[in-house]
Amino acid sequence: MKLLVFVLNNEEHLEEVLEAYIEAGVTGATIIDSEGMGRFLTYEVPLFAGFKDFMKGNKPYNKTIVSVVRDEATVQRLKSLVDERIGGLDNPGTGIMFTVPVDWVSGLVPEDEEV
Amino acid sequence: MAIMSSRLLQECVLLDPQEQEKELIYRRLVDLLAETHGIADPDQLFADIMKRETLSSTCLGVGCAVPHAHSYAVDTTVIAAARLDPPRDFQAPDGEPVSLVFLMAGPDANAGIHIKVLSKLARLLHDQSFREGLKHADSREAFCRIISDRDR
Repeated sequence: MKLLVFVLNNEEHLEEVLEAYIEAGVTGATIIDSEGMGRFLTYEVPLFAGFKDFMKGNKPYNKTIVSVVRDEATVQRLKSLVDERIGGLDNPGTGIMFTVPVDWVSGLVPEDEEV
Repeated sequence: MAIMSSRLLQECVLLDPQEQEKELIYRRLVDLLAETHGIADPDQLFADIMKRETLSSTCLGVGCAVPHAHSYAVDTTVIAAARLDPPRDFQAPDGEPVSLVFLMAGPDANAGIHIKVLSKLARLLHDQSFREGLKHADSREAFCRIISDRDR
């Protein structure tokens, strides 16, 4: 099992991304309102106010989607579907997706009851 | 990582200048940078520094100011410094008069190194022992040595 974290920079893509999650077999996730470090530094710390121009094109707020996935195949399916919908994550400013191993979990919907 | 020492040369350190106003002190530092690094258009650099000042204060508090700008006038990130004795009133947000000024200029194309140097400078200046060392440095060499000792 893996913890899948996806920081989606453009919130406008959230609906399409969640559709991709469902299609890939990830039926549950937690969506967190998040904020880029660049926005915080340039708007909240006066010393860095001069860097606002370098934020152009970056989204100040983003969504972080956290989910537990059962296997690598699901991750790869999802990655491919997300790439198809919002463009490759290698494009700057699109988002960051990563997994970390999960060695224990409680509270997941049993696999045979998943939608 | 040493990212400040190579950018702050002894020739660009002013110890206890006579100028009183913030603008005059910044202009002197810009002129020092121009002479030392062969900056062709110091007027443009000074204008960029002062334009940045209109956005928000570059005074960090604790008696330190870090005026800075991205400017077409420079092609690499460079720093000049001044120690002010007695400290001058720069209308800092915390109300403290300023005794240490680090003026930094970098090219538009390399914001990455600019923000790294600025962050490191801010971190070091929040250290009271570092500030006290600079305030009591008896020469430009000693001033720069205090910085290079911490710039690793």
